[in-house]
Amino acid sequence: MKEEEQTQAYNTPLITRHEHANPLFKGFEPIQGGCNLTNLISFLLKKPLAIIHDIETQRKPGRIIFSLIMVSAACLLVFGFVVGTFSSDKIDDTQLWAAPLKIFGGMILSSLLCLPSLYIFSCLAGVQARFQTIAGLLCSLVALCGLLLIGLTPVVWLFSASSNSASFLGGLLIMLWTVCVGFGCALVMRAGRVLGMKNLSHIIIWCVVFLVVTLQMTTTLRPIVGKDERLLNFGEKKFFLQHWGEQVFQDLRSEKSPRFQ
Amino acid sequence: MPSEGMSYFHSLFHSAGALCRGDKQLLALWVTKTRSDSFLLCLIFITTGCAVYGAVIGCRQGWEMTCYVALKLPAIIFLTLLVNGLLNGFLGLVLGSEIGIRHSFRFLLTGFSVMGVILLVISPVVLFLSFNLPAPGSEEAVSGHAATLLLHITVIAVAGILAHFRLLSCLRQFAATPRAGTHTFLAWLLGNLFVGAQISWNLRPFFVSPGLDIEFVRPDPFNGNFYEAAFSALQSLFPL
Repeated sequence: MKEEEQTQAYNTPLITRHEHANPLFKGFEPIQGGCNLTNLISFLLKKPLAIIHDIETQRKPGRIIFSLIMVSAACLLVFGFVVGTFSSDKIDDTQLWAAPLKIFGGMILSSLLCLPSLYIFSCLAGVQARFQTIAGLLCSLVALCGLLLIGLTPVVWLFSASSNSASFLGGLLIMLWTVCVGFGCALVMRAGRVLGMKNLSHIIIWCVVFLVVTLQMTTTLRPIVGKDERLLNFGEKKFFLQHWGEQVFQDLRSEKSPRFQ
Repeated sequence: MPSEGMSYFHSLFHSAGALCRGDKQLLALWVTKTRSDSFLLCLIFITTGCAVYGAVIGCRQGWEMTCYVALKLPAIIFLTLLVNGLLNGFLGLVLGSEIGIRHSFRFLLTGFSVMGVILLVISPVVLFLSFNLPAPGSEEAVSGHAATLLLHITVIAVAGILAHFRLLSCLRQFAATPRAGTHTFLAWLLGNLFVGAQISWNLRPFFVSPGLDIEFVRPDPFNGNFYEAAFSALQSLFPL
């Protein structure tokens, strides 16, 4: 009975009428095989719009949103642990637990900060969706980003074990992070289109804001890679570009770089 | 009547030819693993081709280096596939080609098999060329080393690019849409180049610089990375 209630469509959205008229709507269909965790991960990678469809059409999409948060937490914590191995090899073991917490906490904080603006910007763009759907969309973004970062963990470990320079690893992580957030933002745009978005520019602005917030979080919660006297450094306020610039120039001045042999 | 060994060799030879011609039917069979021996054939092509070419790289430095590089060159391919396996699968799915982890692994294995075949057949030519370059112990060892480095890097890069482009048409056909296939191909290529360069750095030396010892791997294989070293080389050329 409860299952039936959950899957019952309470109010089929207007946009489903256009579902098959446009190739952009491909995949905007109910999740086949139930909303268990493995199926959700599979759909997140293959047909993420199906998740948005179920969140939008179900009366209580809490279970899907909770599963997405769980996937995000697991992925970001594992990714953070691998990032922490860089500092644990070269400095101390504190980052083994601090880096995962900071990366996960930073992402949660960034999402909470950006959720209201995503709702308002999506409304401005003409999206016809509930607040729950927008929250689910943001959770999908974070979960997809986390899954891609999990795929990158062997690569990150390889460079974390090999690199001497914190700026190099930091730069690499920022590049990978941007790519993963980019995939998440592409999902937001696709979902926006199927939810009736009329103007893409609002969502693009939001995506830039979200990326900047997550990047600023790397400086606010520093150090995540490398060392500092304190675990957190809230006292000294810095914009992320200034902080990174200082780190890079500090590394350039030191002569630790390996040579070709 | 040909013996079993001869017929297997004939099958190998036939498969190599068909692979290099880009026989779409055969590639599809290999990728979907409808042909049961495709995995073994891939391993044979990659291991043999890269090992023989590795031996050609190392032969100017003596038998020890010949064996070392013959072992390390196939290892780079397999380690790159291993490190990037999960990511390649995820990228295939996220980019809309609907090619998952298992299929992406088979695709790339097939691509590297073509590369192995190309390296195998080009080995005699490169061996001849490298024996015409200044020997490691000679007065012109430094310029000889640079020329050897350039020669091998060019040959490996060309073999890799040719092999992967042979795979592209099949990937475009196999993917949900040709556009998604191209995107997936480019993402895989970029990821494999990025990680492959680092793994080759970790497994150095391949071309022993004049004055350095011959070793299987350096005592500090995880000290530094390829890109830091490249940047350091650039810095020494153009000081900031």
